Amino acid sequence: MIKLENIHKYYDSQHVLKGINLNVSKGEIVSILGPSGSGKSTLLRCINFLEQPTSGVVEIGGKRVDVESASKADVFALRTSTGMVFQQYNLFKNLTLLDNVMIGLTSVKQLKKDEAKKKSLDILERVGLTNRLNHYPAQLSGGQQQRVGIARALALNPEVLLFDEPTSSLDPELVDEVLATIRSVAATGKTMFIVTHELQFAREISDRIIFMEDGLIVEEGTAEQLFTQPKAERTKQFLSKASRNK
Amino acid sequence: MENLLDLNFLIDSFPAIVSRLPITIGIAVGSLVLSLFIGVFTALIKIYKVPVLSVISSVYVSFIRGTPLLVQIYLVFYGIPKIIYYLQIEYGWLQSADVNSIAPEVYALLAFSINLGAYLSETIRSAIESVDRGQFEAAKAIGMSPMAMMLKIIFPQALAVAIPNLGNMFISTIKDTSLVFIIGVVDIMGQAKILGSRGLAFFEVYIAVSIVYWILCIIVERVLVKIEKRARRYERGIAA
Repeated sequence: MIKLENIHKYYDSQHVLKGINLNVSKGEIVSILGPSGSGKSTLLRCINFLEQPTSGVVEIGGKRVDVESASKADVFALRTSTGMVFQQYNLFKNLTLLDNVMIGLTSVKQLKKDEAKKKSLDILERVGLTNRLNHYPAQLSGGQQQRVGIARALALNPEVLLFDEPTSSLDPELVDEVLATIRSVAATGKTMFIVTHELQFAREISDRIIFMEDGLIVEEGTAEQLFTQPKAERTKQFLSKASRNK
Repeated sequence: MENLLDLNFLIDSFPAIVSRLPITIGIAVGSLVLSLFIGVFTALIKIYKVPVLSVISSVYVSFIRGTPLLVQIYLVFYGIPKIIYYLQIEYGWLQSADVNSIAPEVYALLAFSINLGAYLSETIRSAIESVDRGQFEAAKAIGMSPMAMMLKIIFPQALAVAIPNLGNMFISTIKDTSLVFIIGVVDIMGQAKILGSRGLAFFEVYIAVSIVYWILCIIVERVLVKIEKRARRYERGIAA
């Protein structure tokens, strides 16, 4: 369903992804853990070409793209088959909540306005935000903004959702509502990639956890495996430190 | 007793001066519209570092900033007919254009558009660059085309940032249009000069025309405040 083959990414001479291979099947929820600077966000951003990978192959839903010869149409295909949720929400500031969700449907999928509105309202209902349709992002709390961010990502009905530290910018008391929303999306069987620092959440929601460091996958396994019997020394260290800081 | 002012003459000159307001406003508004296109185009060339064109735009902006508006008006007024004439004779182009029938207002409009476009390009460029990178990324991530991204997300936000500056430049332009009489356009200033020399009452007509400019600029400022409020409406956060 999603396949990454030998993804490398250089920023000038800095080698940030050093050959990532990954297979994710439909409906699987994969969390990526790792210290800052390990390349987890970069990996996520390479999947939809917000960062251009230097070499490798990205395959989503049968669409295979060699990154070195990716055309505009390839990039468009990858972007429309993925939905991204950003750390800073990145809602379109000049659009109302409803328009934030609708714009992908009207300007990318070219749906009629009524149809787009109907779909958007359905999705906003799923994230529990139908009472503020005409508010602007600045008028919403961080948690609400992020839930709209999730709705926007869902609107195009992508094959996979990419979460880039979705709760890292939130006040602690707002984290739960966003995690609840992610859980409810997970329950629908969406394939998801989650970069997160919420270890407990990752453990509970993920089918598989990947631990990355220094541009490489150090270890992967089911949530229970990784948390209870980490094989690599580095994973042990990270998990014990990170959970002590909780 | 010597009168400082011929008040009756001053007051009587208003209707004639005001009757030329459409020319002044037309040149100012028309050149604002045209220069916005020039400004956006030039700004995008610089932002995307388009080869060759970005060098040309830098030279254009530098030239406009480094030469007086008065000179630029003369260059357009005398230069363009010559260039058209040359192209007609040498290459047989633009045969349908009759150089002698082009109204001076057209040259004024062109000169002001070229001038304002250069100034706007820098304002527009910095406004576009001030839009949060996350906005670009979110637009790309949902698959928006660069055109849709610019029109629906980036420009509206850049505009909100740029409006105070654009407004100041527009007000400057309104006042600068007082130069157009030198190429034979009878705007409010031109009309004032004509009246002044007819009645030999220059002080009076210049007072009258300055009042007209002043009121016009006050009205424009008020309108700009409204437009700015509207453009920035999404920034007003209400703590939820």
